[in-house]
Amino acid sequence: MSEPRETLSGSTWDVEQLLGDALRPIEPPERLSGRFEDTMAAVTQAAAEELSDWADELSESELRALRDPRNWVRPVVAVGAGGVATGALVLLELRRRGRNRSESGLRSLTGGLRSRL
Amino acid sequence: MSGPEQNVEPAELAPAAKADLDRAFEDFYRAHLRDVYSYAYYRVGNHHDAEDLTEQAFLQAYRHFDRARRESDGRPLRPWVIRIAHNLASNYYRDRSRRPQTPLESTEPIAARHDTEAIAEGREELRQVMAHLEHLPEDRRDALIMRFALGMDNREIARALGRTDGATKVLIHRAIKQLQEEMSDERAA
Repeated sequence: MSEPRETLSGSTWDVEQLLGDALRPIEPPERLSGRFEDTMAAVTQAAAEELSDWADELSESELRALRDPRNWVRPVVAVGAGGVATGALVLLELRRRGRNRSESGLRSLTGGLRSRL
Repeated sequence: MSGPEQNVEPAELAPAAKADLDRAFEDFYRAHLRDVYSYAYYRVGNHHDAEDLTEQAFLQAYRHFDRARRESDGRPLRPWVIRIAHNLASNYYRDRSRRPQTPLESTEPIAARHDTEAIAEGREELRQVMAHLEHLPEDRRDALIMRFALGMDNREIARALGRTDGATKVLIHRAIKQLQEEMSDERAA
């Protein structure tokens, strides 16, 4: 059935026939279904418990509020406002330092001129 | 809130929806268990790892089953689950940096010895073709397993491998040609 057949380029194998014979579907062992059901039950049970533990800590209305994107605006605005305020404080501090530095520079310049005179 | 692009974990579904999903998944599991197991077996070369791989593939499929059903538009889900098994098998080799531990034909028999193994013992050509298949590049070997062990057509194989139909056709053609040449060379030698 799968003897090499002669072609113009020499002998060749009927590989497709051989592959068809060799690669037969494999029946899974019966225990696999039981094993999978056990694993799946354990996984879904664990997921459900984790979810209910988490949900217990929050009321239904809180959960709904958390999921509602409209309620995400306030925290975002608060974070933005905090950032702006921090930036303004940093700017003020930098300006103050800059002013001090120029004043002390002027003072040393006039001191130098006085000593020369 | 669950648009078509979002995945909802089965445990997060309402009880009625989850029951419906579980029923559908049970049918899906029954319909595709043999294919996934066959693919896994021919990829890893032994029944023990094939069982693990099959279990992992279906667990992963279950997590995304709801979304897969919504997005399939009625197309068969077999390429999708085979693709999951394919990715898991690739990781299996990458993580453990190994090839199949034992050649397919010498795999330890399980309760019911499969026909292929029995045939392979008595037929030198089958042993040879399996030996050469094992040494093909991964994508070529995969395409041949899908075609001959699972009976998938080019389009299904293309979807499972994430390629175009044309590229898949070429891939299968080259895989067969390579096997043919290698077996002819061996015979000539």
